[in-house]
Amino acid sequence: MKSLVCLKQVPDTETQIKVNPDGTGIVTEGIKYVINPYDEFSVEEALRLKEKFKAGEVLILSIGPDRATEAIRTALAMGADKGIHISDESLNNSDPFVIAQALAAAAAQTEYDIIFCGHRAIDDDFGEAGAMLAELLKLPQVTLVTKVDIADDKTKAIVERDVEGGKETVEVPLPCVLTSQKGLNEPRYASLPGIMKAKKKPIDKKTAADLGISPEPKLRSNAYSMPPERTAGKKFEGMEPPDVAKAVVQALRNEAKVI
Amino acid sequence: MAERFVSRRNLEFLLYEVHRVERLSAQPYFSDHSRETYDLVLDTAMKIARDLMYPHLQEMDQKAPVLENGQVKVHPAIKGIMKEWGEGGWIAASMPYEVGGQQLPTAVATACNYVFAAANFSSTGFPLLTAGAAHLILSYGSDDLKETYAPRMLAGEWQGTMALTEPQAGSSLSDIVTRAEPTDGGYYRIRGQKIFISAGDHDAAGNIVHMMLAKIKGGPPGAKGISLFLVPKNRIKSDGMLEPNDVTVATVYHKLGYRGCPITQLSMGENDDCRGYLVGEPHKGLSYMFQMMNEARLAVGMQAASIASAAYYAALEYAKERPQGRKISSKDPLQPQIPIIEHADVRRMLLFQRGVVEGSLSLILQCCTYSDLSRTEDVEQSQRYALLLDLLTPVAKSYPSESGILAVSQGLQILGGYGYCQEFPLEQYYRDIRIHAIHEGTTGIQALDLLGRKVVMKNGQAMRLFLEEVGAVVQEAAQDSELSPYAERLKGALDTLGQVTMRQVQFALQGDVETFLADATLYLELFSIVTIAWQWLAQGIVARKALDAGCSPLDAQFYQGKIHAMRYFFHYEGPKTAGLAARLMEADGLTVNMTAAAFDD
Ligand SMILES: Cc1cc2nc3c(=O)[nH]c(=O)nc-3n(C[C@H](O)[C@H](O)[C@H](O)COP(=O)(O)OP(=O)(O)OC[C@H]3O[C@@H](n4cnc5c(N)ncnc54)[C@H](O)[C@@H]3O)c2cc1C
Repeated sequence: MKSLVCLKQVPDTETQIKVNPDGTGIVTEGIKYVINPYDEFSVEEALRLKEKFKAGEVLILSIGPDRATEAIRTALAMGADKGIHISDESLNNSDPFVIAQALAAAAAQTEYDIIFCGHRAIDDDFGEAGAMLAELLKLPQVTLVTKVDIADDKTKAIVERDVEGGKETVEVPLPCVLTSQKGLNEPRYASLPGIMKAKKKPIDKKTAADLGISPEPKLRSNAYSMPPERTAGKKFEGMEPPDVAKAVVQALRNEAKVI
Repeated sequence: MAERFVSRRNLEFLLYEVHRVERLSAQPYFSDHSRETYDLVLDTAMKIARDLMYPHLQEMDQKAPVLENGQVKVHPAIKGIMKEWGEGGWIAASMPYEVGGQQLPTAVATACNYVFAAANFSSTGFPLLTAGAAHLILSYGSDDLKETYAPRMLAGEWQGTMALTEPQAGSSLSDIVTRAEPTDGGYYRIRGQKIFISAGDHDAAGNIVHMMLAKIKGGPPGAKGISLFLVPKNRIKSDGMLEPNDVTVATVYHKLGYRGCPITQLSMGENDDCRGYLVGEPHKGLSYMFQMMNEARLAVGMQAASIASAAYYAALEYAKERPQGRKISSKDPLQPQIPIIEHADVRRMLLFQRGVVEGSLSLILQCCTYSDLSRTEDVEQSQRYALLLDLLTPVAKSYPSESGILAVSQGLQILGGYGYCQEFPLEQYYRDIRIHAIHEGTTGIQALDLLGRKVVMKNGQAMRLFLEEVGAVVQEAAQDSELSPYAERLKGALDTLGQVTMRQVQFALQGDVETFLADATLYLELFSIVTIAWQWLAQGIVARKALDAGCSPLDAQFYQGKIHAMRYFFHYEGPKTAGLAARLMEADGLTVNMTAAAFDD
């Protein structure tokens, strides 16, 4: 079973994000970067498929600046076999369309039975790259996947996905693109032997030119801003409980306008 | 809410900038490693600590182990934690490749253990004891014992313990009475009682492997008659199956803190069917056990510092958010209250915590670096580092333990009444840290070890090396105009320590060993302050250099904070040396000459 895992390096959820003074992006100094959590589910699922079929390969594909190697290396330390790192100034900070094009071009140069993407990246939250990638590769896709069963003959997958309030089970022919959702699995931690082995695993560096693409972004971000500071709450004191309830309902309806 | 219990930035500062662990790669044993590996290792440790260990901190305290039908039951999370430590290679981290280890420098492995212990101290008792016990088997055990036990212990499947203490023999191990009787079957028959044995029984491991001190019948009296045995809870039958080895759990203790880890009383040979396997030669057990004890002493210092670290970050977060009172200079009640971190006295408490936490961690990593450097093939150098490690081990064990208690107490103080209540973790940290001044040799015993043995060993050679090491840092700091006053202070304290040492040793030379060691604990305290000041000055030098060379605003803030904390240590803790020295120079035997009856009033 050959899996291609598209992986993005993102700021750790514990990092305090600040917008830079001119509002063109975030302050990157001091940020600790990690693998996008949804992509960790993908790595884990790919490793499990390889273990289940006792053969195959887990290939990590990531676009990002030099530091993205750390994320690839971490996935290799978890047990993935090889990495492709697309490092190109023209692709950093680009929109999901450009990313999808680069991923598609890189995917076209590899062999795979299945492609995993996270259903979104927790930094920009677009959630588009996976779907666009499938379109560009003309592959079927299933989003928000929480369970994957691959038929023994590797021609199709039975996949469970999140739908509002429940689960949907679909059958999809391979190769396909799946986007991983929380609940898919519990990703393993890298191990010390894994870390030592990861040092020797190959990471192929590529530029946009190597992929033969010069994509034009369709989106431009104009400004970044922080959400407004939370204002102080309101206390309802010195009233009988039924009156408090009434006052709260009125406040929610008339002031907060949430009900 | 982001739960912070250690500073990654500080760990990197100490490992890479102060103790320069990357230089270790020059040695064959560490040559496969580089900063890239260490960073990935630290990343992983942080993640495991945060996701797997920290979430159980409180519950493991509240749901302490219980004894049910002769079996101790621990929190279910322990099983997963042991598994991860085993499968992830953390138990064997610094051991050789041949036994499945990764030859990680102990400095880096200890930094990771520090992260784990800061997240959930109790749970680190299990794997750390297992690592020490396995290392002991691998160092001195027969091939058979090595092959049978070590792999399963390193895999986190079987628990290792150190079984030394008996009801009548704690500090004084020469008084143990557990007996070992030779048999023809290739084993000894063990009879006796052990008390306070950490992780001495539990249901998260498939077997418990006790590294037990006992006396072989007919051997010499005292410490010279102590042998080391491997005593499993379940022994292995010829068909490979396990059968009970007549080790009974008599009690699991209810205790102040450290509640996630069971402390057991064990009874061996109640049915005269407990088998022990001799490790190494007869009567040499105590010297073998010192390998595990010395490792454990550093680990205890590390754990104490880690709890104090967690307490510091909890107190810091609170101090930034708790509005209370106003500046002394502006008492206008119409003005909003200020966060308590604005009060000088709260800052003093925070700085004290930092002084202890970062000074202790630096010393522990210094000791680990000595241990790693002692692997060099240069025999003279190797001995030098080994001696320094030997000398500083009692300090690295006891300073974090004793000062850590005070540091956590100050952290709790910062939270006021909330600190005393269960809603915040401070009260648990306060209870958890208290053990460290007791187990692995009480502070009193560490003090006797330092002054009575280490300082005078080899005609004071270790002490001379120590003075050299500190002297080198003093000299370097003296070159920097901002640091030179501190170099001056440390030099003064070092001279004082030298004089006090001479004074104490005189009593030893005169044969008055009672007076010589009467105030050993005060001597340890004096020695510790000098040692920690040395570690702070070393940090100050690095910070000053980095600031001079120019760095990012975020780094500049970090280094300036370091220099503040260093200055705090010199101005607030440093002066205590004068009082200690004054008392030690008196050396009048006040406590020796008093009669016990004079206490009853
Ligand atoms: C939570 C916990 C975990 C433990 N884990 C283990 C374990 O895993 N394995 C194990 O073998 N033991 C373990 N112990 C035992 C521990 O190491 C002993 O409790 C400790 O060494 C002290 O021995 P003791 O309790 O008998 O006290 P004592 O030796 O009776 O000491 C009492 C007091 O007298 C002082 N004192 C004793 N002798 C001298 C002396 N010669 N000079 C000056 N002062 C002296 C001591 O400093 C102390 O203050 C553990 C204990 C606890 C509480």
